[in-house]
Amino acid sequence: MASGDGSQSNAAPELTRRGFLTKGAAAVAGVSAVAAALSPLRHLDPDDVPSIEKFLQAHYKEMITEDKERVLARIRKAVERRHGVTPNVSDPPPLDGVEFVYGLNISRCIGCRKCVHACVQENNQSRAPELQYIRVLEMEKGSIDLETAEHHYDSAQVPNPDKYYMPVQCHQCKEPPCVKVCPVEATWQEPDGITVIDYDWCIGCRYCEAACPYWARRFNFAKSEIPDGALNPDMAYLSNRPRDKGVMEKCTYCLQRTRTGRLPACLEVCPTGSRKFGNVLDPDSEIAYIIKHKRVYVLKEDVGTLPRFFYYFDERGSRYHEPIAPVEQGDAT
Amino acid sequence: MTDDARPATAQRGHLWVPAVLLAIAAVLVFDPVPFSSPVPAATEVPAWATDTTPVRRPTLEPRYAAAGFEYRCSDCHAILPSPVETDRVLTQHTEIELKHGINTRCFNCHHRTNRDAFVDDLGHEIPWNQPQLLCAKCHGPVYRDWQHGAHGRTNGFWDTTRGEQSRRKCIECHDPHQPPFPPMRPAPPPRTLRMGHQGYEKSHGVTDPLQLHVVGGADGASEEEH
Repeated sequence: MASGDGSQSNAAPELTRRGFLTKGAAAVAGVSAVAAALSPLRHLDPDDVPSIEKFLQAHYKEMITEDKERVLARIRKAVERRHGVTPNVSDPPPLDGVEFVYGLNISRCIGCRKCVHACVQENNQSRAPELQYIRVLEMEKGSIDLETAEHHYDSAQVPNPDKYYMPVQCHQCKEPPCVKVCPVEATWQEPDGITVIDYDWCIGCRYCEAACPYWARRFNFAKSEIPDGALNPDMAYLSNRPRDKGVMEKCTYCLQRTRTGRLPACLEVCPTGSRKFGNVLDPDSEIAYIIKHKRVYVLKEDVGTLPRFFYYFDERGSRYHEPIAPVEQGDAT
Repeated sequence: MTDDARPATAQRGHLWVPAVLLAIAAVLVFDPVPFSSPVPAATEVPAWATDTTPVRRPTLEPRYAAAGFEYRCSDCHAILPSPVETDRVLTQHTEIELKHGINTRCFNCHHRTNRDAFVDDLGHEIPWNQPQLLCAKCHGPVYRDWQHGAHGRTNGFWDTTRGEQSRRKCIECHDPHQPPFPPMRPAPPPRTLRMGHQGYEKSHGVTDPLQLHVVGGADGASEEEH
């Protein structure tokens, strides 16, 4: 370099053809690189960006009535925009003197899986990726070993005479491990025994999924896909309103139905009447009779979760898979 | 010479930086390898899978359809009394296949003289719309459970102060002549995301998701063998 030349240092830097091309190319490349780095934003769904309202929303338990009204209106608008359906979004409170308990007759369940799909339809779960609250386990006769259970069975007909069927869903535990591990208190137990999730508060850490001994919680890995016209417009804040990507969800005993006196969707569809539901605090209820008089089995009782979901049995000889052998005509022995 | 040459080579040497950036930018902007989701497409769920219609809907009336007409049972049986002995070749009602265990006699359930009624243990009539009283003759424990709601299908409202609850009687689910609940086709199995090999139908009975990839790898070989 020609150092010490006063005239060159004072003048503006010489614009050479080479310098122009090099710097120009670098500038174009830099801008393109920034553009490219930002290009994934093209795929950004407006639904993935929380609105200011949603971002500043208070915890469900801290909301007063006006807050709730505002939130329900926001959800109503979001559902309208995304699904083109005007939903009936509500927030039914827990009923006084009611504690929900579920009973399931393993002697009668034939494993038809209708409960699984009725649940998906009622609770607006994602169809792709598939998200289901109920798993119907096909179990080896005479065994309660969950390691040999199979829930992907696809036989031409059920029941398979060598198996029995045990549907598993959220047990609405009295000592819920999922609630204990939540770092942000996005999930809690309501006075009627239902463990709920505030989908707007959940950070998607999936600790609860790991803590649940029944594998009852599901995570929205991708944006939920619900076909047109399949959305159930009767929805509640704590149960079946559409969920965003990255939050947990679970069975709520269809609280949008059960807190208004109706039976859950899985029970309504069961062709065999294996499913029983009711208020255990009412001594005249079906479920109180079952717990008092039937033989009852608690799944994984040893983990101390005190579930509100009971499996029960019928007497031997009254089950579908034990037909009474017909007596041969004229057999006089 | 050397003073002039150094910046030139330095400039030329730095040209690869914008070139690489440009290449990366081009790859990212034009997206030649689009993101392919591992999520399988939604399975079509048949309408019957979510249908709450019960398996049977008998009229609970003593009606019988034959030759395109519908009769009350007494329409024929009042004129043509059938023989007492049932262990014989039937000339009528041949479509009824009685597979009710040791219960192989028509008159165990049907009244001998009044065909519009069932019969109880003392020979008295049981009205046709109260079949549970008939079934209770043999199925005591089930009848007891049914009375308390532990057996049988309940629909509608659990809280009867808020709405109606429907209970179904025995023959509204069970065919009285073949009472075991009929086998049916199961609704589609789950296709949820899981580890390992996804084609479960080819897994040859391996149920452990951590082992399924082993089976998946051996798939091609096993198919060639067969």
